Amino acid sequence: MKALTANRLADGEVVFWRGGAWMERFADAELFDDDAQAEAAEGHAKAEITCLVDPYLIDVVEVEGGVAPLSYRERLRALGPTNKPDHGKQAAGGADIEVLAHAHGAARSTGRVNLIKRK
Amino acid sequence: MYRYDPIDQAMLADRAAEFREQCARRLAGDLTEDQFKPLRLMNGLYLQLHAYMLRVAIPYGTLDSDQLRALARVARTYDRGYGHFTTRTNIQFHWIKLRDAPDILDDLAKVGLHAIQTSGNCIRNITADPHAGATADEVDDPRIWVEAMRQWSTFHPEFAFLPRKFKIAVTAAAKDRAAIKIYDVGLRLHRDDAGELSFEVHVGGGLGRTPYIGPVIRERLPARHLLSYLQAILRVFNRHGRRDNIFKARIKILVAALGVEEFSRQVEEEWAKTDKAQVDLPDVELARIRAAFAPNGFETLPPVSKAFAAARLSDPAFARFARHNVMAHKVPGYALVNIALKTPGETPGDASAEQMEVVADLADRYSFGEARVTYEQNLLLPHVKLDDVPAVHAELAAAGLASANIGLISDIIACPGLDYCALANARAIPIAQDIARKFADPEVAEKVGELKIKISGCINACGHHHVGHIGILGVDKKGEEFYQLTLGGSGEDNASLGQILGPALPADGVTRAIDQMVEVYLKERTGEERFLDTFRRTGLTPFKEAVYAEAH
Repeated sequence: MKALTANRLADGEVVFWRGGAWMERFADAELFDDDAQAEAAEGHAKAEITCLVDPYLIDVVEVEGGVAPLSYRERLRALGPTNKPDHGKQAAGGADIEVLAHAHGAARSTGRVNLIKRK
Repeated sequence: MYRYDPIDQAMLADRAAEFREQCARRLAGDLTEDQFKPLRLMNGLYLQLHAYMLRVAIPYGTLDSDQLRALARVARTYDRGYGHFTTRTNIQFHWIKLRDAPDILDDLAKVGLHAIQTSGNCIRNITADPHAGATADEVDDPRIWVEAMRQWSTFHPEFAFLPRKFKIAVTAAAKDRAAIKIYDVGLRLHRDDAGELSFEVHVGGGLGRTPYIGPVIRERLPARHLLSYLQAILRVFNRHGRRDNIFKARIKILVAALGVEEFSRQVEEEWAKTDKAQVDLPDVELARIRAAFAPNGFETLPPVSKAFAAARLSDPAFARFARHNVMAHKVPGYALVNIALKTPGETPGDASAEQMEVVADLADRYSFGEARVTYEQNLLLPHVKLDDVPAVHAELAAAGLASANIGLISDIIACPGLDYCALANARAIPIAQDIARKFADPEVAEKVGELKIKISGCINACGHHHVGHIGILGVDKKGEEFYQLTLGGSGEDNASLGQILGPALPADGVTRAIDQMVEVYLKERTGEERFLDTFRRTGLTPFKEAVYAEAH
């Protein structure tokens, strides 16, 4: 499963693709079972240069209570910094945030690694 | 301290206006991200994990109270109420919006602050001994020379696109408080018997993927030739530095590849060809800058203070603060007061807007309106009367700024790490918080004594882990955070790179390992040995055995 993420140009906020719109909560992200569809969405996103920076696909897995990004880095982006729980998306709380906060498992964020390599 | 003149001010205003236009073009879609990114980086604006980060330069770590208040306003108005002081004595704001960045640069420019050359392959903000102008062990105020270099290097067209970034640090004191040996160029000022000033020039130090302690390429450079000699160094770097491989592009790689002797020869050859009078600072300009750093009008005071002595006797917390945070001043009756941004459990280097304002007010009332930032991520009031230290301490305590732990185990350097940074592999802040909490008892920390722990969340080493007495490097093992420990590093006079203790540990094993190593030290130490001294005597073995005992 994959989701499409980016940072919003005007404020840097982490956002997730859903049917052509960009959502702030990971719980609202569109999940792609089909890689071709995911890549097509990524292609659209890359053309949206006036609202986004660095869109890339992330791996998503089933976890207790729902789904979560596979990589720890991506869960951290979907939550906020661990040293300040009142900052970032986690501050709003809610069941979806709890699912992310308690998700385990790890792997490298392949989309992010590709970004860093490109730099 | 030096105040920007109308030329400097006009330059900052122009630069802010230019960036405003560039941002507007980006937001309108007239610039792509690939076109815009180098422009925003030239203005210190990075895109991190959660938002943009703005890095503001604090030349030679010196701030006046109005500048500190302006930083507090940025924190409150445009960020989430705090800022993060870094090992480069800059401040970073972690929650910046691109659309606000032009307004922020305008606000900063009004007080002579900016983000110019805080990113990119240019000469970055130059750092200096935070005790400059206040310590008896210096031969001159190093900030005079750094200010000269700041003016010379700002927008220097020949050095705007170096093979890689270029960092310079300067000290004029016997004790190195600026970590000059881990810089691209580290300068130590000397004064000979005839009163002539000269620089000892270190080139090619640095941390990161390939750490080096900077070797000396010239023992005594007449101080008046500083700029022409730097030009020669940079020209050799520009000519031969590797632009094909980012990991081999820093000057340290060039110095190591050519060898110190050959590198020095090339610099001397280049310098010999230089029309020095064209480059070196005219005496009249040096005198103008020097006047800006002239002593502040200290009062003639007795060397001891009854109020200070009485507070030490009556208040154990103040006595501890006096032992660790208050340092000798060159003028009798005055002291340097260190403000640790290291309250156990808090984020190293973070200060809230309110705390910045408290320090600004204290600077106005007690320290000639001046505050400093240290590379160890702390603040400092440089010129406080001993009589006033108890009052300063009380106000710091009320603002949560009176941790008496300078140089102790809980005075930890930590980079922002994976909590914020797009390059990090692992978090650094929670590791620092956990260790500091473990040693939060001031009596325990004091018993352990000087122990410098430095944590980086990736090999780029912003947290200086290679030169920590205990260094901690976050690594990524298949997406999981692990931490590699090194022992025996030092960034100061007796500089050395740490040795790897053994296999990396999981996050929840780090504090335990630190505790075990502290136990080894307390058992092994003799006399007045610091942790570093004991390690240098015993080597890795007893520490390694303690940490990895269960694995055998």
